[in-house]
Amino acid sequence: MHGARHLTVGHLMMLLADSANLLPARLQMAFTLGFHIIFACIGMGLPILIVLAEWLSLRNGDPVWRTLAKRWSKGFAVLFAVGAVSGTVLSFELGLLWPEFMGKFGPVVGLPFTLEGFAFFTEGIFVGIYLYGWNRLAPFHHWLCGLPIALAGTMSAWFVVTTNSFMNCPQGFQLDADGKLLDVQPWTAMLNPATGAQTTHMIVAAYMVTGFLVASFYAWEILRGRNGLYQRRALTLGVLLGGFFALVQGPVGHWAGHVVAVTQPIKLAAMEGQWETETYAPLRIGGIPDPETKTTPYAIEIPGMLSVLAYDNPAAEVQGLNAFPEDLHPPTPIVHVAFQIMVGIGTLLIFIGLWSGYLLKWGKSAWHERRWWLLTLLASGPLTVLAMEAGWTVTEVGRQPWIVQGFLRTKDAVTQAPGVWFIFAVTMSIYLVLTVGCISVLRILAKQPMPEDADVA
Amino acid sequence: MSPELIVGIVLGAATTLYLLFGGADFGAGIWEINTAFQSNEKERKLLYHAIGPVWEANHIWLIFVLVVLFAAFPLAFQALCSAFIIPAFLVLVGIVFRGAGYVFRAYSIDSGRQQQFWRTLFAGASAAAPFFLGAIAGTLASGDSKINAAGVYEGNYLTDWITPMALFTAFFTVGLCCYLAAVFLTREAEHSGEVELTLVWRQRALATGIWMGVLAAVGLVFVSLEAPELAHGFATRAWPLVALSAICGTGSLLLLLWRKYTPAAACTMLAAANIIWGWGIAQYPVIAPPFLTLADSKAPDSVLWAMIGAVAAGAVILGPSLALLFYLFKLTPSDSADY
Ligand code: HDD
Ligand code: HEM
Ligand code: HEM
Repeated sequence: MHGARHLTVGHLMMLLADSANLLPARLQMAFTLGFHIIFACIGMGLPILIVLAEWLSLRNGDPVWRTLAKRWSKGFAVLFAVGAVSGTVLSFELGLLWPEFMGKFGPVVGLPFTLEGFAFFTEGIFVGIYLYGWNRLAPFHHWLCGLPIALAGTMSAWFVVTTNSFMNCPQGFQLDADGKLLDVQPWTAMLNPATGAQTTHMIVAAYMVTGFLVASFYAWEILRGRNGLYQRRALTLGVLLGGFFALVQGPVGHWAGHVVAVTQPIKLAAMEGQWETETYAPLRIGGIPDPETKTTPYAIEIPGMLSVLAYDNPAAEVQGLNAFPEDLHPPTPIVHVAFQIMVGIGTLLIFIGLWSGYLLKWGKSAWHERRWWLLTLLASGPLTVLAMEAGWTVTEVGRQPWIVQGFLRTKDAVTQAPGVWFIFAVTMSIYLVLTVGCISVLRILAKQPMPEDADVA
Repeated sequence: MSPELIVGIVLGAATTLYLLFGGADFGAGIWEINTAFQSNEKERKLLYHAIGPVWEANHIWLIFVLVVLFAAFPLAFQALCSAFIIPAFLVLVGIVFRGAGYVFRAYSIDSGRQQQFWRTLFAGASAAAPFFLGAIAGTLASGDSKINAAGVYEGNYLTDWITPMALFTAFFTVGLCCYLAAVFLTREAEHSGEVELTLVWRQRALATGIWMGVLAAVGLVFVSLEAPELAHGFATRAWPLVALSAICGTGSLLLLLWRKYTPAAACTMLAAANIIWGWGIAQYPVIAPPFLTLADSKAPDSVLWAMIGAVAAGAVILGPSLALLFYLFKLTPSDSADY
């Protein structure tokens, strides 16, 4: 635990010494992004489930599927609005908290943000049509209007994550002697070597988050004895979405790791707690890196595995943190622990997906007798969210001290305006109201009585 | 045409659309303060019915303006963000609670107290957002924003944005939103066959409209006293637009009197749009007054051209989608069983 203690005190002191604004600005950015991303994930995944349910109802005229689609779309309306307002906060914040970043690199990342704007538009327009159009459009046309929502949600995530991949792996511009931008190629910046893996990984994560959260919610309902056809179908759809993408996420995560190894060796070393440069580098499971002694004690080491995972070759050399100057080390314990959490949960979710698939296809027992399975599913939703947040912690904290890798330090990007702590405090209270409101309204929606024909036990 | 001018026109167009549609949504929220006291269910239903399907889309014009501004004119964006950190944050708070308040109210059905709370929040926030946006616009227009020619802000964050011109513009913007909303709602009430409501909203629209006419006249005096640069631009370059705005404003009142609600709505929109374009043309080529111009603060041309391409391609999707949305909910008569 020594490493962690060193980190919290030492790192905080460093932060405070850098600039009075740096700490509150980072806390605010991290918190608001971490909040928005949950709603963004649901905004990508839930339309897929809704469209699926409505399609099933159109195909076989079954009112339960229609009830599902209708009730989910109301929940979606609430979650989407919270996603939209929290996203608006982010658009303002980029300028308000990081004016240097936006002033300097705004032109480079402007293209994906502009394109994202169109994705938002498409999404917002069709959300309006879909939610209020149940009685205005023919059923099939109404279903068609659901498709652009699902597509545009995923596109917006793709565009915004290209911005982040640019921050990790900047290219497509030159700087002159005064640090002014020359020769910007926005498309090259957008399609950098980190883009493919990062965007794919994020989108798959979003589908997993939605799938397992839905499964989690209906597992809770069934455990409480609401074991109707409605709940069982809802749970099945959720588990299928989450479980399928959990299987996909394994290889995609490996791809993301490989890209980090090639483009951001310091981040990889921090993720793995790798201090020395070595061939046949071991994969460490657990352990807490200690920046004092430059070791990672308490880890289970599997020799050669890290070299294999990063470069597909056990003899490959992996650079350690010691190969880089110390002021370029990210807060290693946080990065390593967060990475362990993500990968650990990811592996667990693969097993949950396989188990669920087996039970749904070949399981003989009645639903309410599958208690352990339901309890596992109940945990799976929050765990998936945790994995996703841990993944962002790896990406963002692992890039420190840079905001744009190699070009702009975080401490040089922060605003000089006073009162950032005050803004942070106000922001926290706003988000408290949002969270309480969102949960209480969703509860009201969940408690609304089912229509007669929905077969609710 | 230089790429920065094209992007500048795109920005102006998006700002106008945000004022017209986003502004009307804010206005409807502000009127809710009024209906909250009179608690007339029918009235409220019309109001929520009018904004429900479109507010998400209308809101995104603002996001679009922000994004294009920082991508195309990063120096101006950086300067504006530094200068207006406080009012911009207050705008943000307003926008967050407007959006959240609206959906939370709409979906907390059958729960009186909670619904009342969200309704109040929605109404208050709807007034706050245009108020502070107006304050920012006013400070900018008066040329008092203390942003130097290099795009560095050298004023006092806390108090600089509270000027007489800023306060005036803040109230003017709130009033404009109310007027837009009242005229649109009159039209929609007539459209859904609500005779009584049509008359109520017509009366409100007329009353607000007369007030806005007075305020606009006062505004011109204000501009000539507080914002000499802008007044000069108005007098030399932008006067046709100012005149057009005045004519359309008066026309909208007359059309309301004659109960021609759709043309009245069109006139109101033209009057409001010409305020933005008049202002833009009067201060062209400055983007962050008093000194910073479009050309000084622009991104490299390669970026601007890429953005213009993106906007053109995006418009191909956006145009028809928006047309469908407005056709479905604004041009076809509504029935109350939409939810
Ligand atoms: C459901 C969530 C989830 C799950 C189960 C996983 N990940 Fe992940 N991971 C994310 C959600 C996520 C994320 C939040 O979506 C991140 C943050 C940035 C990004 O694009 O994806 C991420 C980032 C991220 C990065 C950093 C990328 C960068 O900094 O450029 C790596 C190396 C991995 N992941 C690797 C893995 C591996 C090997 C996994 C094993 C199965 C794994 N992830 C499971
Ligand atoms: C395109 C997307 C993103 C952009 C442009 C972005 C931008 C930034 C910026 C400007 C900072 C401040 C620098 C710093 O303190 O490290 C930051 C920090 C951070 N962001 Fe991101 N970010 C993105 C995605 C995300 C997401 C979705 C999360 C979700 C949790 C996230 C989590 C964090 C965290 C945890 C920090 C704080 C790091 C630290 O304190 O060391 N980021 N990000
Ligand atoms: C990498 C992390 C991010 C992902 C995956 C993501 C994805 C999404 C998605 C899918 C939506 C649709 C709304 C919903 O369904 O709830 C959304 C909304 C939004 N996001 Fe994010 N976002 C991320 C980070 C950001 C950042 C850094 C910004 C700031 C520039 C931002 C700004 C917005 C805005 C303004 C909206 C609202 C648009 C609307 O009204 O529909 N997002 N985001």
